Amino acid sequence: MLNIQTRQEGSASVVTIQGKVNFEVTAQLRDVIRETVATQQPKLLVINLDGVSFIDSSGLGLLVAARNSVDKSGGKLHLACLPPAVKKTFDQTNLTNYFSIFATEQDALRGA
Amino acid sequence: MAKGVVLVVDDEAPIRDILGFYLKRAGYHVLMAGNGRHALEEMARLQPDLIVSDLKMPEMGGDELCKRVKADPVLKDAYFIIVSALDGTASKIGGLNLGADDMISKPFHAQEVLAKIDSAFRLIAMQKEIRQKNRELTSFQERMEGELSLAAALQLGLLPQLPGQAPGVRWSHRYLPAEGIGGDIYALAPAPDGGTAIMIADVSGHGVTAALISAMVKTSFESQVRSGGGPLAWVEGMNRDLTRSILAEQFATAWVGHLEPESGRLRYVVAGHTSPFRIHSGAEGGLRRPEFLQGKGFMLGLDESLPFTEQESELPAGDRLVLYTDGLVEVEREDREMLGEEGLLRICAELPANADQAAGHIVTRVQAFNGPVTFRDDVTLVVLDRVG
Repeated sequence: MLNIQTRQEGSASVVTIQGKVNFEVTAQLRDVIRETVATQQPKLLVINLDGVSFIDSSGLGLLVAARNSVDKSGGKLHLACLPPAVKKTFDQTNLTNYFSIFATEQDALRGA
Repeated sequence: MAKGVVLVVDDEAPIRDILGFYLKRAGYHVLMAGNGRHALEEMARLQPDLIVSDLKMPEMGGDELCKRVKADPVLKDAYFIIVSALDGTASKIGGLNLGADDMISKPFHAQEVLAKIDSAFRLIAMQKEIRQKNRELTSFQERMEGELSLAAALQLGLLPQLPGQAPGVRWSHRYLPAEGIGGDIYALAPAPDGGTAIMIADVSGHGVTAALISAMVKTSFESQVRSGGGPLAWVEGMNRDLTRSILAEQFATAWVGHLEPESGRLRYVVAGHTSPFRIHSGAEGGLRRPEFLQGKGFMLGLDESLPFTEQESELPAGDRLVLYTDGLVEVEREDREMLGEEGLLRICAELPANADQAAGHIVTRVQAFNGPVTFRDDVTLVVLDRVG
């Protein structure tokens, strides 16, 4: 069961995800991200992963595709609040070096 | 062309005639019968779409006729309206219990009957369309299932033959795709320098798309190996091939190694894949201490320019390598616990000496941990022993 919430913070869009991100829910998450990018055209998209207990390779693929699509529209993608289990998956796949990752949502919004 | 075939069954000729007149004028092809038995005889000649039948008739009444029609595999789809002088809910329910689709009470206006029949035909048309669509879907599904099982058989053919043997190694595997066909693949290939190239990969997602990409991964790996070099060059080449040919969100994790059969020197590159275990003297069986082969790296297919790094280790004769895809350890149990790589490491601490038995033992133990929950993702497990 995945819980996704979106909100605007100035010119930034924040997507907060809670639950397990695997191939069963990627379609749902993809729709939300696609719609947010299409309608808000945010300069900055922050994805808050604080409530994510697990992410599999299809979830990682989705985040990479999100980064690519935000890049293409001239925006930036920042990830915030990676829980230890997610952090480990990111480390293993070197994605820690592929994404801009921030400890808190505030940092991610500031881009600090 | 007639709008449809209606069979009017009534023992009173004037009622048959009046209904017949209105129905013909409305464009229906009309059949007539004086009782249930004659109605069955009529139906043997031409199958009606709708039957409007009186209840009380000599020889065979409407109730018996209705029962027989509804029990007949050919006739049962005919829409059945019972006409009854017995008014009231009780008799209506009785008629519907016989399997009739609708009831009309006597006395009736012919116009009322006609309106009912027109509306019944709209239903019949919809039912026919649904049945037709259903037949089309069923046949489509059968075709797809046939194609899938063919593809699954082809994919199994892409895996190395068992029992596996190459310079310096012997191995066995377990391959369990989630949907008959999957995105996992592994391969061993002779390197031009006399070494053995080893690759295991897991394409994101599963099903046909993932399977196609997995075939692409294998082809790319084999062509890279043929062109010489080592794991780093191979992975960089595979990453280039994949980045150019796959869609957004489709990626592959892979572990690619090169084993020198004489020395046991093992060079490898991790491309986002779960770390294999090395078990010292594992090929002898018994209680051992498995350890992760360290390393990390990007998944394949993200970006052409991403750097990868090569690691080095050793696999002396008698050592065992356990390679797997994450579907093996990422099943969420009913209590939400997952085995994880640490759990698999514990299972691998004591394995049979025979590689095939060891692979079987691992899957059995993992399933015992998972309980009634089955594997949801593709699962591949390779137990590879270094032979001197």
